[in-house]
Amino acid sequence: MRQIIDNDYLTLLFRLVVGITFIWASVYKIIEPGDFAKSIWFYHLVPGNIINLSAIILPWLELLCGVCIILGIFYRGSIVWINVMMVVFIIALTSAVIRGLDIDCGCFKAAKSSGGSTLNSLLLDLGLIILTIQLWLSRSKKWMLSKS
Amino acid sequence: MIFRQTIILLIFSAIIGLAANYISPNGIELIGKYRDISSGNEPIIPPNAEAGDPSFIALDLAELEFNRGEALFVDCREFEEFECGTIPGAINIPFDDLPDENLEQYLDSTLGFINKDNKIITFCSGDECDLSLHLGRNLKAFGYTNIFIFFGGAREWENFGLGVERRVDCGK
Repeated sequence: MRQIIDNDYLTLLFRLVVGITFIWASVYKIIEPGDFAKSIWFYHLVPGNIINLSAIILPWLELLCGVCIILGIFYRGSIVWINVMMVVFIIALTSAVIRGLDIDCGCFKAAKSSGGSTLNSLLLDLGLIILTIQLWLSRSKKWMLSKS
Repeated sequence: MIFRQTIILLIFSAIIGLAANYISPNGIELIGKYRDISSGNEPIIPPNAEAGDPSFIALDLAELEFNRGEALFVDCREFEEFECGTIPGAINIPFDDLPDENLEQYLDSTLGFINKDNKIITFCSGDECDLSLHLGRNLKAFGYTNIFIFFGGAREWENFGLGVERRVDCGK
């Protein structure tokens, strides 16, 4: 089991999957912060006066964490942030489902529905969390800029 | 070590995000103006609602559907009121002018023969007007399966600063 977790290629693959997913997820939000702000508002979980600040900063945090995970710098800090964001997404999505708000997660496109169901978004988030658990446990430091 | 990394990442994101927002043509205000709808903005349900009526939705869901662009909004007021200001893109089916005969065919035709499972949101002026409820009941009886009633109506929509389509200047 330990050998599988520490496998260099598996770790690199998971770093690429998680990193590219987060970079991809951040692009539209960075281009259209207004749409992303509206997406956040749809969840009705964040106080109105910090919605815009969240919409301005969070996509860049996603982008930085994605890049850092791929490059292997600020590695564990990035994993922590990615998991924090995942957990927040999952709480928001779950609360939306409970309250009957059938809304797109806003993960990959802001505001308007991309047609993806909330359940798919939840499964995607859970899958990514599982990958990050492997990344956290793996001792592989191959192809990382920072070995610390 | 890990804590330091998380703080550095956050600070970097904040600096880059604020700078990018400042120079971006799509930049937004740092503090937006949002309606606080997490504090009891429940749908308005009229006293004459009955079990089996279509679902009533609040303004937030009406706006959500409006932004998704998939639902058909139906203004049930008189044409003169509709012209003065309605939810953008809404069509007008004045409930009081509905024919007594061949009503189903009339509604199918007026709705453009859309699928009966298409999402339709009926509304009128506000909570003193129950035309949206009556039209919703009719549509449901004729087999439309995805009917919602926005009982806050055009007034609640406009009161919260949402865009209104005016065909005629009625002095508002």
